[in-house]
Amino acid sequence: MNQASNTETLVPGQPSSLENQHIGDGNQSAATTTYLPLTSAPEAITWANHKVDGSSNEMLPNSTYQYNQQVLPPARNVQDGLNVSSVACSSSSFVTSNAPQDYNAYAQYSNSADPYGYANAGYQGYYNNYQQQPNHSYSQPVGAYQNTGAPYQPLSSYQNTGFYAGSTSYSTTYYNPGDYQTAGGYPTSSYSNQTTSWNGGNYGNYVPNQYAQYTTDSSGAYSCSSTNASSLQYQQHCKQWADYYSQTEVSCAPGTEKLSTPASANAGYPVHGSTNYPVPSSQPPPSHTPSWRPESGSSELVSAQPGAVSSGNHDGYWKHGAPNSQVHLTNATQPHFEKPLDLKNSYDSFQDQQKSAGPQGPNLQYPAHLAPQSHQLPSQSVPPVEARRTKLQIPTNPRIASNLSILKTSKDSSTADAAVQPAYVSVSLPKPNEKELSNDTTESVLKPGMFPKSLRGYVERALARCKDEKLMTSCQSVLKEMITKATADGTLYTKDWDVEPLFPLPSADAVNSDNLQVSTPLSSLSKSKRSPSRRSKSRWEPLPVEKPAEAPPPYSNGAAAKYGGWANVSERDKKTLSGNSETKDVSNSRFPLWDQRTVGKISQGPAKKQRVADGSAPDNDGASSDSDKEQSLTAYYSGAMALANSPEEKKKRENRSKRFEKGHGHRGENNHFKPKSAGIGSLYTRRASALVIGKNLENGGCRAVEDIDWDALTIKGTCQEIEKRYLRLTSAPDPSSVRPEEVLEKALNMVQMSQKNYLYKCDQLKSIRQDLTVQRIRNQLTAKVYETHGRLALEVGDLPEYNQCQSQLKTLYAEGIEGCHMEFAAYNLLCAILHSNNKRDLLSLMSRLSDQAKKDVAVNHALAVRAAVTSGNYVKFFRLYKAAPNLNACLMDLYAEKMRYKAVNCMSRSYRPSLPVPYIAQVLGFSTSSGDEVRDKEVDGLEECTEWLKGHGACLITDNNGEMQLDAKASSTTLYMPEPDDAVAHGDANLAVNDFFTRTPS
Amino acid sequence: MAYLSMGEAHRRITEYLNRFSDSVASQDGASLKSLLALSSNSPNLLALADSLNVFQDANRLIRQSDRYSQFGEILVNFFRALQCCRLGNLFDAYQAFEKSANAFTQEFRSWDSAWALEALYVVAYEIRIIAERADRELASNGKSPEKLKGAGSFLMKVFGVLAGKGPKRVGALYVTCQLFKIYFKLGTVHLCRSVIRSIETARIFDFEEFPKRDRVTYMYYTGRLEVFNENFPAADQKLSYALMHCNPQREANIRMILKYLIPVKLSMGILPTKSLLENYNLFEYENVVQALKRGDPRLLRHALQEHEDRFLRSGVYLVLEKLELQVYQRLVKKIYFIQRQKDPNKAHQIKLEVIVKALQWLEVDMDIDEVECIMAILINKSLVKGYFAHKSKVAVVSKQDPFPRLNGKPVGS
Repeated sequence: MNQASNTETLVPGQPSSLENQHIGDGNQSAATTTYLPLTSAPEAITWANHKVDGSSNEMLPNSTYQYNQQVLPPARNVQDGLNVSSVACSSSSFVTSNAPQDYNAYAQYSNSADPYGYANAGYQGYYNNYQQQPNHSYSQPVGAYQNTGAPYQPLSSYQNTGFYAGSTSYSTTYYNPGDYQTAGGYPTSSYSNQTTSWNGGNYGNYVPNQYAQYTTDSSGAYSCSSTNASSLQYQQHCKQWADYYSQTEVSCAPGTEKLSTPASANAGYPVHGSTNYPVPSSQPPPSHTPSWRPESGSSELVSAQPGAVSSGNHDGYWKHGAPNSQVHLTNATQPHFEKPLDLKNSYDSFQDQQKSAGPQGPNLQYPAHLAPQSHQLPSQSVPPVEARRTKLQIPTNPRIASNLSILKTSKDSSTADAAVQPAYVSVSLPKPNEKELSNDTTESVLKPGMFPKSLRGYVERALARCKDEKLMTSCQSVLKEMITKATADGTLYTKDWDVEPLFPLPSADAVNSDNLQVSTPLSSLSKSKRSPSRRSKSRWEPLPVEKPAEAPPPYSNGAAAKYGGWANVSERDKKTLSGNSETKDVSNSRFPLWDQRTVGKISQGPAKKQRVADGSAPDNDGASSDSDKEQSLTAYYSGAMALANSPEEKKKRENRSKRFEKGHGHRGENNHFKPKSAGIGSLYTRRASALVIGKNLENGGCRAVEDIDWDALTIKGTCQEIEKRYLRLTSAPDPSSVRPEEVLEKALNMVQMSQKNYLYKCDQLKSIRQDLTVQRIRNQLTAKVYETHGRLALEVGDLPEYNQCQSQLKTLYAEGIEGCHMEFAAYNLLCAILHSNNKRDLLSLMSRLSDQAKKDVAVNHALAVRAAVTSGNYVKFFRLYKAAPNLNACLMDLYAEKMRYKAVNCMSRSYRPSLPVPYIAQVLGFSTSSGDEVRDKEVDGLEECTEWLKGHGACLITDNNGEMQLDAKASSTTLYMPEPDDAVAHGDANLAVNDFFTRTPS
Repeated sequence: MAYLSMGEAHRRITEYLNRFSDSVASQDGASLKSLLALSSNSPNLLALADSLNVFQDANRLIRQSDRYSQFGEILVNFFRALQCCRLGNLFDAYQAFEKSANAFTQEFRSWDSAWALEALYVVAYEIRIIAERADRELASNGKSPEKLKGAGSFLMKVFGVLAGKGPKRVGALYVTCQLFKIYFKLGTVHLCRSVIRSIETARIFDFEEFPKRDRVTYMYYTGRLEVFNENFPAADQKLSYALMHCNPQREANIRMILKYLIPVKLSMGILPTKSLLENYNLFEYENVVQALKRGDPRLLRHALQEHEDRFLRSGVYLVLEKLELQVYQRLVKKIYFIQRQKDPNKAHQIKLEVIVKALQWLEVDMDIDEVECIMAILINKSLVKGYFAHKSKVAVVSKQDPFPRLNGKPVGS
């Protein structure tokens, strides 16, 4: 994976490999530091790494080529030179130029890897927060820390591209915290030089890198149509970034933030289509978050929790990582579990990850990150995800556990967060007893129950040959490779392990060299992953990706031809594990990968990223829980894939090429794996497939945006607040502020029970409607909400709002959703009759009424009202008014004034000489009843009627009996329609806010 | 179909092309028209379609010669439409024909005289017919039918070509009528307004100079629009014009006009003879007319219920419903006559309870308040001359012409 990432950054091809090495060196150095204490073998590795560093420095010039393409070439060169010198100070100087700065930072970091002092300082500061870990552990972490620092700088390169600009602001807040600065002049210098925006950029980069790595891994394993996936990943990364940042800001509350982040990660993955991808991506961002928090100076406890959580998460995700996870945990709390093998594995994985991240020069930085992650990876190879999870959870601190439980859905996110930190932690952890580790290693390689007995026997035999721990670890890595490969090939259970010849014992040196090599290959892998994601221009994202597009051309030809790139990735892993150094192969493979990447992904990658981010981010949030699982699975698979290549190179190559060709077929395989490993949410796969489809569509350019499966892109809210103010959305909805269906139901009940005024209810209902719409919930609840709102609007005469609800209900009913269809059909009719006065509308409405509707009480009532209105039969109208079902009366209410006026007009022309007012009051609905039972009301009605008549210019006289009479003849000429008292300038009294308050008691 | 040899197919296609270019060269609108009548199913065109299916390279023939290639856009697409039509692929046929029609319109615009007006009529007609058929095909495939709408906007363009001054203006009314047909079919009647305005306001051209058939169609549709607006005098005038000028041989057209004219006339108190209803098969109005004659509100309700769907669809339901007041008037008038027979001196005082009884006898369930209201409305609408005395519950009708006839005036105050 590391290789892949490197390749990406290196885009130019070989140069990239060199860079990768660089990165690897830096990372390795950090890693080595950690390892050294643990065992002799690790030490050797570290040495090798150092060497690599040196070589990498040399290589840098080569890398410059790539960089030049991406950024300013001259700056690059300078940086490279500086790097060679390996002077931290030089890096600071470089920083001055923005674009170049990123690279410079990169270079610096690699250099920094050499100087341990810096790293140590930084670590200590960093880890102080954690406190729990012992001192030596800290020193190791330092190395990791440095690595991390490097990754951040690469991020800056992203900023240059401009995608990350938004994110930068976020990063600044988190990033700024002095932890890094404390680490030593080194980190500070690079950072300080960079603007705050830079920091942000770093963040962004960091996350993306990780993503990329993961993706690359998976791609390598799958060797699927990598192009699409890779491009998608890119975009996704970007999006994730954005999400991540936003979340992080909020995140001070750990749970919520975590959730959000995972979601974003998920989104990215879905695009890839393979579950594997999502996992890695999600993890990286979260990890970052935790680390940041501690730095920011938040309470130590908090920092510790994230780390622990992350480790746990990692384990779960990585599956194989059981050992790793344990290590992490141990780091946090218990040192026992750490195993040398794991560390190595972690190395590889780290490198891979770094590579994946690497594409943009960040590769170097990534390596550091990768190292921590790599630990997890080793574990992945064998053990089932779930088992690891459980293990992890157990070790984790209660706090962590609580986080997990709380988050549930957000587990992924939390895990991701944790993952980042864990990486660091893990580095420090390596101390544990090697012997124990060796025992564990067998277990780690073969999880109990997971593999056939024969395989166990094979492993035991192989390990029995090992004389020292170094050998043991190297053997373990080889074994893991074999097993993963067998798993990937499906021969795990079919192979006769009893007959299988033991592989030759790897020499310690070979192991070391492998590690070194691995780093480079990994970079290529990362590249390859990205490259696969070639998309034709995305419609949604017109913005072209900056660098990637340009760089690739020279390499593309060679690379494209060799799909081996994927194979290379796998090979690299193998190499590292097996100890066979096939640098040549690796390099070749890298190039191809790189080429592919450059060709397809790079050019279009950025655009994709953005696009994905936009669409996917919300989705991710919703599916965070699922995504977590998936992520873990994906990680597992990716790891497996990486290891999968058999020791025999030929076979490997063949496999590689096959894989590459298969492309899609691999995906299918992956899917197979998923179900086994854990009950992955179908949702995730759905989304992934949807996104993939979407991408494909874009590629094909023949399918319209409307054809995309929006179901898969729909977000799922996580907000638990029942009350929420309505705010018109101006951007993609944030799942953390969207309420899921259950909560919306409660909210609806709350509104229905509420005694507050209409304005409040309207606001609440609008927000409910918005949440429903955003989540594309269209069921009975939706109908209920609209019906409730429609009724409320009718009660207060808010016709515009009612019309909105009515039009929605119309489509809802048309979809066959149950509701009070008849009731609203009647309202609809009444509206057409009384308020729109459009004969054609009315006719079409009536002609569309079903027989069943015509039997309905409310509809019949509405039809009767229509007849009364058309004939001017005021007596009937007001009788219907009194007998109105539902809220028909409310609609009629709005017409009553007109009807009364017409009626009095008619009376004054028809009656002679006079008409008693009580009769008018009764006929025109002023008094509620004509009987004697409610005398008071009748009197009230009479007074009201008198007032009304006077208000409309009627001439009233009192007859001999003292009864008020309407002088018909006199009135016939004096009647007039008074100006409405509540007339408002904008023409609709209903829109007057004050009016609402006065009319509806609050 | 007998086997068609390649040579024969080639011969037929060339013959068509020759006739096309000849008719354009000689400005022979009539023959050009027959060449473009896609849906006419004329043997020549059917044979041509078959030939095109045999001889696939007709486009080359068109391009080969300057004579044809100047109409290449028209002919190529027309051939394609013809082929698709013959094969039953109406969606593609419409697509191709619209292109062909577009090209023809452009060509038509460049011709100074209006000699090709007939051909343009055919094009306008064909595009509507094909669009309707294509929509049916689309709807049966579960897709949204939108071709008729497209034909509407195409015809608006054609209308723009014709609506100016000059000899071509005569053709504007035909296109207008095609547009009306589309809009009424689509239910987007409001779109008619702009077309009507340009016909009625820009009176550079006397309406009477338009072809008669277009005038009748135009008046029919505008009359229907007036019925929707319940502007009965205008509706009566337009529909009557259409009826008067309609070719008496076209019974179907006459019936269509009468379907709207009869309700309009009824609402103005003019009843059709029974023979008219019989002659034109308009039995749905029989009971309505009967109810009016008898003053039987119950019969009216039954008649309306019986044909509710039909009346709702044609849009005359609301018009017929308003006849109720006239039925009440007739009923009161009958009571008045009976009273006058009994006691001429007191005939002008009609007790409310008598009316209530009469309604009860007709099984119309109305209480005294409602009947009083009806009486008030009748008086208010001048269907009854007189006044109502609330205290004594008596309607006092005028001694002179207490029940004025509408005589062509709409009910109203």
